[in-house]
Order: sequence, then C-alpha cells, then structure tokens
Amino acid sequence: MLHFLARRLPSVVLMLVVTAVIAFLLPRLGGGDPAQVVAGSDATAEQVQAIREQMGLDRPLAVQFVDWAGSVASGDLGTSLISNRPVAQLIGARLGSTLELAGAATILMIVMGLGLGILAGITRKGAPRALLDGAISVLLATPPHVTGLILILVFGITWRLIPITGEVSILDDPMRGLSYLIMPAFALALPQAAMIARLVDARMAQVRQEEFVDLATAKGVPPRRILLSHVLRNSLGTAVIATGIRIGEILAGAVVIEAIFARQGLGMLAVSSISARDYEVVQIIVLFAVVIAVLVHFLSEILLAALDPRIRLDG
Amino acid sequence: MSANDTHPPHPAGRKLRVGAGMARYLGAFRSPRGMIGGGLLLVMMFAALLAPVLFPGGVDLQTRDNFQPPTFAHPFGTDEYGRDIFVRCIYALRVSLSLVLVAVPFAMALGILMGLSGAVSRRLGEICQRIFDIILGFPSLVLGICIVVAIGAGWLALAITILVFSLPQFGRLARGALLTEQNREYVLAARVLGVPKRRIMTRHILPNTLDPLLVQASLSMIAGIFAEAALSIVGLGIQPPTPSLGTLLNVGIRYVYAQPMYTAGPIIMLLLLALAFNLIADALNAAVLKAKRA
Amino acid sequence: MTKDDLLSVRDLTVEFGPDRAPLRVLHEISFDVARGRILGIVGESGSGKSMTAKAVMGMLPEGGRIAGGEIRLADRNLVGLDAPQLRRLRGRDLAMVFQDPQAALNPVKTIGWQIEEALTVHGMSARDARSRALDLLRQVGIPDPETRIDEYPHQFSGGMRQRVVIAIALANSAPLIIADEPTTALDVTIQAQVLRLLVELRERLGVTVVMITHDMGVVAELCDDVIVMYGGRVVERGAVGDIFAAPQHPYTRALLRSMPQVAGDRLARLPAIPGATPDLAHLPPGCAFHPRCGLAEEVCRRTVPALAPIPDRPQSEAACHVAQREGRLPPEPMREVEANAARARRPSPAPILELQDLRVDFGSRRRLLRREPPFYAVDGVSLQLFPGETIGLVGESGCGKTTVSRAIVGVNPLSDGRIRVDGQDVTAFDAAATRHVRQTVQYVFQDPYASLNPRLTIRQILSEALEQRGLPAGEREAECVRLMEMVGLDRGYLDRYPRAFSGGQRQRIGIARALAVEPRVLICDEPVSALDVSIQAQVINILADLRDRLDLALLFIAHDLAVVRHLSDRVAVMYLGRIVEEGPAEEVYARPRHPYTAALMSSTPRPEPDPGAMARKSVLRGDPPDPRNPPSGCRFRTRCPIGPLVHPERRICIESDPALRGEGRHRAACHFSDEVTRPAEESTT
Repeated sequence: MLHFLARRLPSVVLMLVVTAVIAFLLPRLGGGDPAQVVAGSDATAEQVQAIREQMGLDRPLAVQFVDWAGSVASGDLGTSLISNRPVAQLIGARLGSTLELAGAATILMIVMGLGLGILAGITRKGAPRALLDGAISVLLATPPHVTGLILILVFGITWRLIPITGEVSILDDPMRGLSYLIMPAFALALPQAAMIARLVDARMAQVRQEEFVDLATAKGVPPRRILLSHVLRNSLGTAVIATGIRIGEILAGAVVIEAIFARQGLGMLAVSSISARDYEVVQIIVLFAVVIAVLVHFLSEILLAALDPRIRLDG
Repeated sequence: MSANDTHPPHPAGRKLRVGAGMARYLGAFRSPRGMIGGGLLLVMMFAALLAPVLFPGGVDLQTRDNFQPPTFAHPFGTDEYGRDIFVRCIYALRVSLSLVLVAVPFAMALGILMGLSGAVSRRLGEICQRIFDIILGFPSLVLGICIVVAIGAGWLALAITILVFSLPQFGRLARGALLTEQNREYVLAARVLGVPKRRIMTRHILPNTLDPLLVQASLSMIAGIFAEAALSIVGLGIQPPTPSLGTLLNVGIRYVYAQPMYTAGPIIMLLLLALAFNLIADALNAAVLKAKRA
Repeated sequence: MTKDDLLSVRDLTVEFGPDRAPLRVLHEISFDVARGRILGIVGESGSGKSMTAKAVMGMLPEGGRIAGGEIRLADRNLVGLDAPQLRRLRGRDLAMVFQDPQAALNPVKTIGWQIEEALTVHGMSARDARSRALDLLRQVGIPDPETRIDEYPHQFSGGMRQRVVIAIALANSAPLIIADEPTTALDVTIQAQVLRLLVELRERLGVTVVMITHDMGVVAELCDDVIVMYGGRVVERGAVGDIFAAPQHPYTRALLRSMPQVAGDRLARLPAIPGATPDLAHLPPGCAFHPRCGLAEEVCRRTVPALAPIPDRPQSEAACHVAQREGRLPPEPMREVEANAARARRPSPAPILELQDLRVDFGSRRRLLRREPPFYAVDGVSLQLFPGETIGLVGESGCGKTTVSRAIVGVNPLSDGRIRVDGQDVTAFDAAATRHVRQTVQYVFQDPYASLNPRLTIRQILSEALEQRGLPAGEREAECVRLMEMVGLDRGYLDRYPRAFSGGQRQRIGIARALAVEPRVLICDEPVSALDVSIQAQVINILADLRDRLDLALLFIAHDLAVVRHLSDRVAVMYLGRIVEEGPAEEVYARPRHPYTAALMSSTPRPEPDPGAMARKSVLRGDPPDPRNPPSGCRFRTRCPIGPLVHPERRICIESDPALRGEGRHRAACHFSDEVTRPAEESTT
C-alpha cells in the first residue's frame, strides 16, 4: 500500500506545484499593474515605482513566487488590492454558503449516483433497463447550469413550488435554508451522479462476465449474495474513484450554480472578483478549488488501495 | 471460425475496396439515429449560417412590445427591449457552432499528435501524458476562469478553453490506442517487414485509433457548447451585446418571471444541439461496433 | 440408465435466440457416466462441449434454453427444475472446475472465504466451514494451509489457484465434478500436477468426473470413457481403449492421425484434415463432417446419421452412415502416409543466424524517481541456425523463448550479446543492419486473428510486403498470385478482408506475407498453438513443404513438444531465460540429458491409452520461480527431481551455475546429466 501511495505521490505534488504556479501567475497574466492599482490612477511614475519596490514586485519572478507560496502555506492569503481587506476574511465570509451547497450536492451525488448505478446494474433487460439507460443518458448530457435552469423553469416558474433565488443558511433556519438549497444542490449533483451511475453500471456489467461469478453460481450461491459479495464488492473501487473525481467538478460547478440561483458563495466571489480585476482573491480561490479536488482524488485512491487486496498487500 | 476452406463468405468486390474505412462512418448516417441527428445538426447549421438572409433585420430589430408571449411571428416571444428572442437564439447558434467547430477539430488534431508522440520518443509521450493529467486535475470551470483571466473574456478565450479542456480526452484515447496497436501482431509484422515508421503510423495505427476519437469528437462538441453557456452565464464568456446562448441566459434569468421563454428558448437550443451531437455519437458508436463484429 | 450410472443425459437439445427462429447449438446429446469413472468430452472449438457442461450445471448463458431431452443425476431429472432447486443442487450434488484459474477466483476475497462460502450457502456453520476449508486445502496439496487460507488469490500461482478451485468443487463432497478444460490455461508441468491430483482424488474420494477437453492426450491418459463431439452432436461414444485403438467415426480417426507424436515414428507429412471446423450457426446439411470427410457419400450430404453401435465393434457407437453400413469404418482411400523420410540437407559450414550470449532486460524501465532493477527475461542465450535447418525452441510460458525471437528481429532491444545474420554483425541494429535483417529474417506470429490488419485486403497486405522487397508496382500482382498459390489459397481471395477467413487460412496468409520478401530464415512463434487440432496439421505441413522447397532455415518456437519434434532437426529447451539442453531432435527426445527436458516429455500427455500412466509419471513439484529473482546456481534446482531437493548433499547445484556441455552436438546444462531418466525407461518400469 505504501508503495502504491509513494508511486502516486509525485503526480500529486506535481499537480499542486503547477496549480500554485498558475495561481501565482494569474494576477500577472491578467494584465494591469498591481502597483498602479494600489497607487491609484493619478499617481506619478515615481510613486508607482516606489510602491512597486515596496511590494517587492521588482524582484525576479521566481523569488516572488517562493515568497508568495511561503506566505500562503503559512496561512497568509494576502490582501485584496481593490477592497483592501484580507483575502482570508473575504473568503471566510463566503465559505459557509459554498460548503452548504457543495456538501449537500456531494451527498446527493453519492446517494443518487450509487443508487442509480446499482439499480441499472441489476436491471439487465426489458423496459426498465431502457428507461434507466435513457434517464442516465439524459442526465449525463445535461450540465449543472442547464439542469439548474430547467429546474427553475419547472419548479420555480411553472409550479411555483420552491423559491428560485436567494439563500438562508441552514444553520439559521433549517426549513427555509433547505428550501433554498434543494434546487441548486440537485442541479449540481444530478449530472455528476449520472456519471457515477454510468461507470458503476458498466463496471457491474463487466464483473458479471467474470468467471468467478460463474464459479459462485456453480457453488450454489444465491443470486442476492452473488450480487453483494461478488459483483458489487468488485465494483466498489470504480465507484470510489468516480466519486473522488466528481467532487472537484461539484466545486467548479458551484461557480455557475451560485450565479444562477443568486447565492453569495465563493463562486460568486470569484466571478465578481474577476470582473473587478481583483486577482489576489481569484488566485486564492483557484488554488483552493484545485487543492481540494486533488486531495479528494488522492483520498479516493487511498480508499481504493484499502479496498483492493492486490494494491493493499503488494502495490 | 465461420468460414469453410473452399467457400469463404462475403465475396467483397473490387468496388467496395475504395475507402472501406470511410464507408463505415458514412454508414452511421444511414441509421435512423444518425439521420435524425445529422439532419437536426444540418438544419441548425444552415439556420446559423443563413441567419442574416433569413432574418435580415438583424438581432437588434425591435418590435413595439417588450416581453410579448410566444406567438407565431415570435415563437419565443420578445425580450426587455422587444427584440425577437428566437432570432437572437438563431444568431447565438453562430457563436456556439463556430466555437466548437473550430476548437474541437483543433483539439482532436493536437490531441492525436500529442497522444501519438510517444511513438517518436518515449519521453515526449510521457510529458504529454503529464500535461493531460494536469489539465484533468483542474475542475473544468476553474480552468476556464484561469484562461479568461489570462487572455480576457471573449470568443478566443472560450475557444482556447474548449480546446484545452477536450485535449486530454483525445490525447488519452490516441495514446491508449497507440499502446494497444503498437503491440498488435500486425504492427510488429509490418516492422519486421521493414515498413517505414511513418507508414506504419499512418497506415496501420492511425486508422485503427480513429473510431473512438470520432465518437469522442461529437461528445466534445456538446461539452464545448455547454462550456460556452456556463462561462457566458456568469459573464466570463461572450460579452454583450453579441448574443450567444450563454449571454441570453445571463440576461434571461433576471427576467425569468416576466418572460420564461427568455430562459427556456436558449435552453431549447442547447438541448437540441446536445441531442443532435449525442445521436451522431450514438450512431457512430453503433457503426463502429457493427464493423468490428462483422 | 443403469443403476451404476450417476449422470445420464438423454437427447439433450439446447437452443438460443427467439422461439420462432431458434439457433440449435446442441442436438440430441446422450451419454452416461458411471459412478467413480472419468468421462472425457472431447471436441474442437464450436463443437458444443462447453455448452454441454453448462447445460448440465443449469448455467446456460442468457438466451439459451434446454429445448428437449433430460439430464438425470442419480434418478432426478434436472431439466425443468426451477432456479432455487437448481441452486441447491449446484455445489452440493454437482460441482464445476473452470478453465482459467486466474479469473475463477474473486480477487478481493481470501481463499478461505471463498471455500467457506461454498459450504455455508449449503447450511454449514462458519466454524465448521473453516476447519473443513483447511482440510480441503490439505487434500488438494496446498502447503502450509493455516497461513495460506487467509491469503488472496493474487498471492497464489496459477497451478495453486486451480487447486483452490478444485478444493471448492470438492467442498460439499459432490459426487459429480464437471471440469471444463481445467488445464488448458496451465503450463504442461503444472497441467501434469493438476491431472495427477484429479486422478488421486478420484481414487481417494471416489468422485465421478466429466472432463471437457480438446486434448486427445489428456483423454487417453486420464479418462475411462469418451464422447467425441462435432458440430453440436456426439459423433462417437465408447471406452477410451476401444476408441483410440479403432476409432469408428472418420472425424475421430482423422483427428488422432493428424496429431504429431512425442514418441514413435516421425512422419514426413501429417495426414491433415482439410477444411475448417464448422460454425454452429451454419452447419452443413446432413453429417456435419461430410465436407471434410474422405468417405463422404450422397447419403452423408442429405441425412444426419444417428449415433448407433457399429455392427462389427458393438462396444463403440458412432454416427457414421458408412461405418454402420459396412460393419466397421473402412480405411480411407487416397491418404498417403510416408514414413520418416529423412530430409537431405546440404552441409553448410556457415550459420545463417548466430546468437551469442544474448541478454534482454525487461526490468529497468526508467520511472519518474527511481530505476527498477534489471530483470533478464533472456539471460545468456547462444544458438546457431544453419541454412535449411529447423531448430525447435521449446519451453513453458515465461521462459523467454518469444523474447529471444523478437530480439532477433530487433523488436526487443538487447542489453548484451551479439547477433549475426548471414555473417554480418547486426547487433547495433543501425539502418544498414536493420535492412539486412529484414531481408533475411521474417516472422510468423501466433495469433491468426491479430496478425493481419483488419482494414486491409489480402492484396494490400501482400503488396506492402512486396514493396519492401523492392518489387516494382507492375510486378506485384503476379507475385501476389504466386504467393497465394504457394500457401494453397485461391487467387480469388486476394480482394477479401481478413475477417472472411478462418484461423488456418489467416495463418497461411501470415506465412505468405513473411515469404514475400524472400527471406532465408523464418521465425515461427507458436504458429499453430491458437489453432484447432484438425487445422494445426494443415499449417505444419505447409511450413514443412515451403521449408524444403525454398531451403528456408526455421526457428520454430512452441510449447508443444510433439509439434516441435515433428518439424525440427535440432531442439533447444529453455528454462527461465536460459537454454538448458540442446541437440539433434531424435537424440534429445530419445535420451534427454537435462532433468527438465525429461520432465517436460513425461508431463506431455500422449494420445495412447495407458491406464496408470498418470501414477507412473515423474511430475515436477512446485512452480517456476520468479524470473526477476532467479535461484542461485542451477536455475532449475528448486524443482529438480535429482537436485538438492532430493539429494541435500548436492551443494554444487546451489553454488555453481552449470554450463551447457556434452559430447558432440548434444549438450545439457546439468551437473548430473548422466542420471537423467529416459522417458522410454520410465514407462516400461
């Protein structure tokens, strides 16, 4: 197992480094001179130059990067040049909303993904099979923002069942919070759930063809037990890895979903910061999203290794 | 082992020889799914292409009433300035289709090159794989945000986002196919015969990698169309006043109570595009499987 | 069915597909198995033998159904039982052993769990199941069962896994075990272990076995009775001794004749069966064998013959119009069998191909952070091949024989050693050397389905090869036709795609492609091992003919000793990356001087019925060691029947690596090569 993890580690580290570099470069790529922004539009060239030196922007990029990475790693996320507030504070204010959304969506995704996948996996023929296949295909092909808009049109406009925009924290008022949360969470979760379902279904079909399933039948094992101990047990790894990848997509999808449902989360913060050219905030949010995606993926690989004796014992 | 020594089945005449590989892809459009998908796509492409001819008034032609409900003359109703939403949707198709029809083929070509680069140098192949890993490590929209920040929102940023994002799909498929094909005995046989490397690549490996890549291309088209919508909805894609399906939704969602068709119209267009490409992907897939089984 | 019969199958008919247009895959199969006997069901691909096993187990694949007949297991008809009833029978009253031990065990459950499951689902308590599982592991010869019971399948070797599968089959003391090609996926020395285990279990526990196999040798050595299947029907049925002595169906007879032998006279040409095995979906009318039968008459083309006793040989039953009418199967006309015509070879002093201390490293692929230690799949192989000569390179899977052959043509890079082709050193494989190799050495591959590009017509495939020879485009047409005729294919096939051809035909096309550049050396890597037995002989004959006509040198790689013996002038035996014995074929087969060669020969099943052969065989113990980590000294010592395992005082085997040596051209790498028992002596003692 340690071997396996050690083998995976370089790519995790590489991914983190690349992300850090990209996040670091974002403000520079975005154009505009930070020193100019700080100095204001009617500052003289000398003033700007002084501020540039003061901010350390005249040093080589590599030095600036090490400096920046060091301070981020030690918890100093920097200061917004636009609002002059610490980035950590800006993000902190929005974190709760996004966590609620992403958390709810993740739970929905896992439950629906595994549920649909297993249901499809055990329904091998006839009309129910075609129905499940069709449902998964449609959900799979429709991304979160489109799903979200359709949900709004159906439940918010046509039937007027659920409020479509705005939010209340679940912690403050669970019932109302939930009613605001349910549509965006579903919109975010459904396409990813369909992806998991498709993979689980395909894997189960594949395991079913394995000779050890025939051997279990030849042993006289009842069908339900074959399904659980042999087919499902050997499909778990696929489900775990699929889930691990999809959680990153949920975070990214939150950007658009928050815009559509007018939720004041990190996604909205990212979007408004881009429009305001507040790149110090954007870079931290990007870093944050990728680091979480990478770590969740790595976690899912650890879980996979724990589930599979071939990796656990030898890999 | 179906054949008998004296009478192998299916005597294939000389005529069939020409482009038997191409024939199977064209055959995909003879199936019902392929026909519907292809037809739908053609209609939308023509509508987009001929929009200035069909609707000479252009996108900004205003009627007297804003927020008109759907009528025969204005199937999707009118917007806050009284402009025909349907006409704006048709014009928006130009953006969506031009984006994916440019970016996806580019991504496919580049992806194949990068995926097959392992045949030239093992190290180069490995490097390309790492690049794909990194791209895939980024949640899709985060990648889009980075690109938008770097080069500024607009058609080009979207095209690059779609290209970068679909690159690994093609690259990995091409590489996977390369790795299996490379060790196929008929490729080894060609090597042992002394067939030049480039010839082996174009004649023996590339044609056999094309099947999954074409299917993936249709799927990437869908992903690209939706990516445009996603980024434009949040204001990071196409910039107003140019109508795109995403920018229409961006504004439409604000007026969702006053004019639901403002949101529903672009969504219908998105779903029709997705349906068309999905049907084509399905038909290609079926044709490929059929050719394999025969 | 007599009261001795445990299993009795009557007129079993199996169909697939929709009711209106069913595809019948099994036609009125009937056979009985008496208690304590081993019945062999033998047939080639598409004969329906595995389907028969699945039907008896009640495990037909989806879409299949029993359309008629009955299956009686100890007076109980299994046809018509519902799923739960069948399930309760499976594993308890009849059990099954599968073909591929790699795939037959659940990778995420321990061995113990999987054996215990077989017991607990039939009602045993968990505690009893555990001790029974330990017991079973001991019975099937798994060493150290207390530890190994908690290990996972991937920690077992292929042979050990098959023992575990057998333990599962034995778990509930089912009286009937159906074994579906249980040794096909195993190497010949491991196959011998598993077959011997089955014989021991039969003697010790009195189980009845139905053995499904394509290998007549396995039938002869293991089975008491046999049914021969062809085209979804039983074509012959009887005791093994009778059928092997005097087969009464033309197919059985032809099959037995077309097999090359490990012992006995060597024939110049194998009497091959023409044509290909039929597809169950397109059976010829009448007797399914008639298109390939030398005795076929008008009636054979029209009516399906019934399985009936043959008048002059009432103990055998055969489904043949001719044999039934004549009273016995008449000799077949027009099949010449020349005996042992020695090929005249011109003495030629210079080898056309020379390998010197070849080493191929498979290990050290550079990774991101570390370099894996080298692992030599081929470790110091030297060989000389003279023009017009055939060398057979024999060994089990993983011994490095394919690696050697691919190194010769530059596909696997060398890490050490030299290769000379026609006197020219090509070790560097630079442009000039590569061209020289390509023109001199060609390759015939194992898998007829993978060796032809499915997207090119035969004409395109051959033209590409001719182009490499430098033939102008205008002359290629005529040359394509000549090549096709050379391998016995009609020129009209040139514009077809590979999928239109059977396995044997594809292999001929592969040979034609290799010959297109007019090579002087042909490397054949297991060219017949993927083919049905009845097709093998065709391809072997073509290779032999072409070799003699074109004066080709052949490096013939195979795991099948009989095939190698048939074709080779000299034989080299490989074990774990080394050549352990080398010499003239007749001498090596008659008097092996390495214990491994002797064991290989003794392990190879021979199609000569010999009750008790199994018990007398010298069967190698254990598995081949990991080639990454070969044993010190002699690499064979961990399994050697005359080495330190049996004679602990023989330290030399552990300490010193024996070199190839011996008098004349017959050399072996063994410190005690004088003690090697001859297979001939062994079978008479």
